[in-house]
Amino acid sequence: MAVTLEYERINISRGGRPVLVDIDLVLPAGGLVALTGASGAGKTTLLRITNRLLAPDSGRLLIDGADAANEPGPQLRRRIGYAAQGVGLFPHWTVGDNIAAVPWLNGMERQGRDRLVLEMLDLVELPQSFASRMPAALSGGQASRVGLARALAARPGLLLLDEPFAALDPETRNELADRIEALHKAQGLTTLLVTHDLADALTRATRILVLDGGRLVADATPAALVADPHPAVQALIASPLDQARRLVRLTE
Amino acid sequence: MIANAAWDRAIGMLPDRMAAHLGVSAAAVGLALLIAVPVVLVMAGRPRLRAAVLTAAGVVQTVPALALLALFYPLLLALSALTERLAGFGVPALGFLPSMLALTLYALLPLLRGGADGLASVPPATLDAADGIGMTRGQRLLHVELPMAAPIIIGGLRTAAVWTIGAATLATTVGQKSLGDLIFAGLQLEDWALVVTGCLAAAALAIITDMALWRVETGIAARKWRKAGLGGALLAAMVAAVLALWWNARPPETAERPVVVGAKSFGEQYILAELIASRLREQGLAVTVRSGLGSAVAFRALTAGDIDLYVDYSGTLWSNALGRTDVAPRASMIATLRTELPRRHKVQVAAVLGFENAYALAMQRTDAERLGIASLADLARQSDRLRLATDTEFQSREEWAALQRAYGLRFARLTAYTPTLMVRALIGGEADVMTAFSSDGRIAADDLTLLTDPAGALPSYDAMLLIGPTRPDLARRLQALEGRIAVEAMRQANWQVDRATDKRTPEQAARWLAGRIAEK
Ligand SMILES: Nc1ncnc2c1ncn2[C@@H]1O[C@H](COP(=O)(O)OP(=O)(O)OP(=O)(O)O)[C@@H](O)[C@H]1O
Ligand SMILES: [Mg+2]
Repeated sequence: MAVTLEYERINISRGGRPVLVDIDLVLPAGGLVALTGASGAGKTTLLRITNRLLAPDSGRLLIDGADAANEPGPQLRRRIGYAAQGVGLFPHWTVGDNIAAVPWLNGMERQGRDRLVLEMLDLVELPQSFASRMPAALSGGQASRVGLARALAARPGLLLLDEPFAALDPETRNELADRIEALHKAQGLTTLLVTHDLADALTRATRILVLDGGRLVADATPAALVADPHPAVQALIASPLDQARRLVRLTE
Repeated sequence: MIANAAWDRAIGMLPDRMAAHLGVSAAAVGLALLIAVPVVLVMAGRPRLRAAVLTAAGVVQTVPALALLALFYPLLLALSALTERLAGFGVPALGFLPSMLALTLYALLPLLRGGADGLASVPPATLDAADGIGMTRGQRLLHVELPMAAPIIIGGLRTAAVWTIGAATLATTVGQKSLGDLIFAGLQLEDWALVVTGCLAAAALAIITDMALWRVETGIAARKWRKAGLGGALLAAMVAAVLALWWNARPPETAERPVVVGAKSFGEQYILAELIASRLREQGLAVTVRSGLGSAVAFRALTAGDIDLYVDYSGTLWSNALGRTDVAPRASMIATLRTELPRRHKVQVAAVLGFENAYALAMQRTDAERLGIASLADLARQSDRLRLATDTEFQSREEWAALQRAYGLRFARLTAYTPTLMVRALIGGEADVMTAFSSDGRIAADDLTLLTDPAGALPSYDAMLLIGPTRPDLARRLQALEGRIAVEAMRQANWQVDRATDKRTPEQAARWLAGRIAEK
């Protein structure tokens, strides 16, 4: 079941400096929301507040109308799919054990987990034989897919992805983005996807959020965003637009 | 070459010492682990605390192990006095406890460092993922951090185990049985079979332990559980083998605690301890000998009841036990000690054995006769043309200052040597006079003359048999030794264990000495 998120005047400081300022936001169920902005803008911080790895200094987060602060953190996080920046597979566990981590934490039986692992590998389009591999024997793209499978294994209603395409070549990254888009629709998720790259955001998301220095400076559909006059948004759009124009010129 | 009997004796000592050595090492590493685990967990994610703790542990590591062991003895004595007052029982200050505690401190640094480095080696992205999927702190530690850190943690354990097994040889100096018993006795008696056997056994224990833990470490790192298990099995097999050896070689059960005869770490002390032990055994008592005690430890061990009796020297007792700095005539020194030791320390003097082991100056007899020197006063008249060879500590001792004051000695040259080289310098003609101990076996063997001390400048060092407060009944059993050991007899017995060829064991020399006593 897709999840509704409501951020109410969220503020947080790290190391004495404000990192997020007055974030006021409602994300209705079922959206594929791209969260973008320059490095250090606060994207990861907002994601970590969403699954309560961080508690805001002030403000509230409501998940399906309930204050997230009222539920124990670990229990809350097991209901939310999370693919961390840098994947972070457990190197001493097999791919299968990594994928089944949350069901295992929830006490699922061995047989159920084995079946689930095979299903998840199919879902992220990896061969079933990968279940017994160790993470060290995976390429970057394969590792990202396993990370995605691990996030989806407990059938969450909310999926948080922190730069799942980092360090992937353009082709692999496109395939993975396609996969995420398809899964988002098929599993009926609310997805919050952090990406540096506005081109990804513009072409796939239903809605785009732009953070700049901890403030939400834009919140719009892709089409509306391109028309937004905010300088931070213009700066983000400028470089992919420029790249695209040059590519077009080459093909003419 | 080393005689077969010497090897047999060395190997005979092994099982007991190896079991004790392994026991104290394992206890120390085990206790260090118990301390290190919570400390490492508290330090994780607190870089300042971590730096402070590791620095403190590093400072402990720079204290030489020998000093660390010696320091624990007075500390435990004080603690024992305290618990005695507060709770009515004391803690043992000699042997197992101080050794284990000092070795524990020693093992702590590699364990702490291994633990801290191991946990710090887990990448932040992995920790983030563990938190992000909903692991609790405990689950993250147990299922992610510890397994990933295990190779580095076990690396620290390896270092700790090898260091501890090495340093445990020093536990002998505070009265704990260990492989150091062989090494210390062997070095003193120049019994190389003992030294080599002790060193090889300690090295073997260290190497086997290291190999076993290495297997565990690489096994865990490569997730080859069979290999890791094999390492554990090797370790268990070694412990079992040593225990089996010890069980076979253990002495028969006796209901009573045996009498413990102490000995400092030189030949004369070993011989006297064996002599006393065999006298008591003849009277039907069970006796063990604790040899190799540090000179500072022995008297305190006696008053604390860790040993029941031993031989010490009047000059040493005068300054160490009575705190006197003056010099008194031989007879009044003995009389004072006979009354003061029982009063102040509950220590009885069972017998004054009849010989001295005092500092003296010696010359080759032929030289002394040619130059007409028989006393220190004679020497003073010609000393500006003569060369003095001393041992390494003599020139900084009170005795040397006293000699210069009393006789105005001024030598043409003054050179410090190790004891063996000092004798060689005298015999080889590089020196004319040397420092000596009056009961040294070489005096007769090398035809030396001891110069008399007409001014009484040098304190006397009469050998005195002391009985501690634990077994006052022993005094009566041994008082027959009063005045029975002549200095010539002691010299000969010392020579039997000191000489390079046709060496005797302290037991054999003690038997010979007992024969001489009976003849008188
Ligand atoms: N533990 C921390 N202590 C102090 N400052 C922090 C901490 N974590 C994050 N910050 C700061 O908060 C700000 C936002 O960090 P955040 O990780 O949310 O950025 P981001 O938008 O995800 O950047 P990137 O695109 O590089 O991942 C940065 O300026 C960062 O330096
Ligand atoms: Mg980030």
